[in-house]
Amino acid sequence: MDQTYSITRHVCPRNCYSTCSILGYTKNGHLQKVTGDHKHGYTKGLLCAKGYNYINNVYHPDRLKYPMRQYPRGSGQWQRISWTEAIDIIAGKIIELNHRYESNLSLALNKYSGNMGILHHAMEGFFNGLGKTSRAVGNPCWSPGMDAVYYDYGEHQTSDMQDILHSETIILWGINPVWTSIHSLNYIYEALRRGAKVITIDPVYTETAKKSDTYIQIKPGSDGALATAIAKYILEHDLFDREFIDQYTVGWEELRDYIDQLSMEEALNQCGQTIEAIQFLAERLAKHRPVYIWMGFGMQRHRNGGQNIRAINALAAMTGNIGRQGSGAQFGQRATWKFTYHILNPFPDDKRNKAGVRPLDINDFANDLQKQQDPPVKFLWITCRNLLTQSANVEELKKALQTLELIVTVEHFMTETTQYSDLVLPATTQFEEWDIVASYWHHWISINQPAIEPYYESKSELEIARLLSKKLNEYKDHFSAFPTDMEDEQFIEQEFTDEFYQALHIKDWRELLNGPRRVDVQKTAWGTMEFKTPSGKIELFSKQALDNQLSPFGMGLMENGSNPLFPYILLLNHEPFRINSQFQNLTSFKKISREPCIYLHPLLAKEKGIQRYSMMKVVSEKGEITIRANFSTDLNQQTLVIFPNHPLVNKLISFTAADMGKVMTSGKGNALNDLHVNITKLC
Amino acid sequence: MAKKLGFLVNIERCIGCHACEISCKSFYQLEPNMRRRRVQELPEDVVGTPVRAFVSTACNHCDDPACKKACPVGAYTKREDGIVVHNQDLCIGCQMCGKACPYSVPMFNPVKKKMDKCSMCYDRLDVGQLPICVEKCPLEAIQIVDYNEVQPANAVSEIPTFADTSITHPTTHFILHKPGKQSRRF
Repeated sequence: MDQTYSITRHVCPRNCYSTCSILGYTKNGHLQKVTGDHKHGYTKGLLCAKGYNYINNVYHPDRLKYPMRQYPRGSGQWQRISWTEAIDIIAGKIIELNHRYESNLSLALNKYSGNMGILHHAMEGFFNGLGKTSRAVGNPCWSPGMDAVYYDYGEHQTSDMQDILHSETIILWGINPVWTSIHSLNYIYEALRRGAKVITIDPVYTETAKKSDTYIQIKPGSDGALATAIAKYILEHDLFDREFIDQYTVGWEELRDYIDQLSMEEALNQCGQTIEAIQFLAERLAKHRPVYIWMGFGMQRHRNGGQNIRAINALAAMTGNIGRQGSGAQFGQRATWKFTYHILNPFPDDKRNKAGVRPLDINDFANDLQKQQDPPVKFLWITCRNLLTQSANVEELKKALQTLELIVTVEHFMTETTQYSDLVLPATTQFEEWDIVASYWHHWISINQPAIEPYYESKSELEIARLLSKKLNEYKDHFSAFPTDMEDEQFIEQEFTDEFYQALHIKDWRELLNGPRRVDVQKTAWGTMEFKTPSGKIELFSKQALDNQLSPFGMGLMENGSNPLFPYILLLNHEPFRINSQFQNLTSFKKISREPCIYLHPLLAKEKGIQRYSMMKVVSEKGEITIRANFSTDLNQQTLVIFPNHPLVNKLISFTAADMGKVMTSGKGNALNDLHVNITKLC
Repeated sequence: MAKKLGFLVNIERCIGCHACEISCKSFYQLEPNMRRRRVQELPEDVVGTPVRAFVSTACNHCDDPACKKACPVGAYTKREDGIVVHNQDLCIGCQMCGKACPYSVPMFNPVKKKMDKCSMCYDRLDVGQLPICVEKCPLEAIQIVDYNEVQPANAVSEIPTFADTSITHPTTHFILHKPGKQSRRF
């Protein structure tokens, strides 16, 4: 029956572990259905519920069809305008600001991970082509962990998931793949069938914990303390791998002396666990190898977040669980992202010297936006993100946006962010454009080709960048260096090198149209035991960290701080049917997914007189919200959970710098999970 | 001997991701409100703490289908292999089947003004393909079993929240979830 459809290759560009290849089935110019692509060696033709629902995303009744102008901003009075008008307004403002300030620094771009395709770097390329501009830099997701992995190993690798089939012990440390990485579960189940034991360590008794042999509950952010307690036990009982340590690590003596001085009692107190649990974990790590540890992103969104990751890395190293088949401390990888990134660098010779960015911290964007006065930011381009629902200091942000003269948002739908925009430009989806997407977890690269014409007047970001560049150069010769005469396919072509083709075992990127390809990287991370650290070994003592005013030790007891006024921790944990603010508006998900609410332990609720499903107050140092209460015995009595797509949660959040992030992502992470709150019943 | 095909749902493997439900919806291009399979949570207090589990069910292709008895126009047939088939061409949209089914399986399609339910993808089975939900479950948690041939180990026909099976004798069976060890601190 499939003969009647034309079938095209796509890839889900969302910020997710799986980065699935998708097949689109089109009939009479209409996308009819989607399925997974069997040629993808990791996702194997299987999608998640979000993926199968893309038809309802593409043809959603609320999808934007035309460029829209809101005048005045925030009034809700929207007017359809033509692309010519939209581009004229934007180009006119850019030229005007350039004349006023004699630079382009008043122009700012805030882009994040809404679409991770390589051609979605078009707006960054466009801004780079204007010379020096202002730019949101940094990363709200994984920056502390990226630095930690860099200090320890020098670069970022993951093992192929098949590697886990050789593991005897699997530790899912602060990761909930049942909700956030469903394709990995099959590998874990197969490892279980072959006799591996699965241990989940998490402050929340997650769906993954429910599928595990053992669940260890710890206090939020105390992962480093738990690792240190295990390390101390390992030292005291001579369970470390002396041979591995001698051969592949530096700083063992220093770290050992340091751990010796630390108190086991204090470590247990910090992580909230028993010596029996510590003994169990230590023995699994030392006697039931190889041990595969998967570290989630939540534990590094703490003030000591990078240190938490370093501690687990060190624990894996001292037990010889790195670089051997079935072992490893997995976090995320960049090894397959071998693109040239030429799309980012359209500088002609005369602009090259003037290029660069004036950084605005993406995690402290509201404050940084207001701080810049020479010249002030007057123009903001928002793309691949819903800034108003996914930012800290949201009230300050709203205030800061008032001082801007033009705000342009590229979107599929009207969002909280478009309410604060002057212009909204309708974007194409991955079924209407070319792109190439890699994964930060597995090692497959997929192509995205158009299946259907752009929905109404929507355009790809690349096309928008070209249009704008062309218009600006009409105003003023050589104003914009972003190429206006290159086709989409040429942009793809220039991202590949011979070395990249070799790693993909293809000769031309068009071969990706026959199916996704695996990049030929090591199947086991650090399998060759070559580390790109200054010492060429795993650094249990890192001079680089010390030089950056951090603890040189891969481990330690860092008290995460408590506040008697705000005695509870509110965790922002991802849920399975949405990715942050994406997929919020799909009818079928509204059916299967609960109303946004806050989860707390029923005994805590009883103590506070809060009824189930009643409204309750949550107060942080930053602000106060009223929210529906729901009960969960998955939590302890000091911890609450809210999903980060909740429209109110930003009111509670400010920017609390994590310890790391500066080296790899140009800005420290936000300690989002150090959110101390108090709760009361509404009345 | 005739077959007795039925679903075997492995709650131990199911993670509640709803891929079965939505892949079926996508394949059959069902309207936004329609679905032929649904995933429900079995709450802790039903299963017994601390286990919480999900159960995915579609039509139970009963031995004694109430829908077939209730249909005034003979739109339902039970095939030799046990699959209960609903013929939409004959259906007049009276919704009697939906009311008769103890599991509320047949759904009214407000656009077509007809009832709609899971056919166990019999047209796919007939040509040697698996039903969509079976093929697309990322965890291989749904299987088709000929219950006249095999009685899978640990399979049970009754689970909490499931209607009394003595009414229609559904063919769906389940493998229950086993709890792990916990070190929890309060």
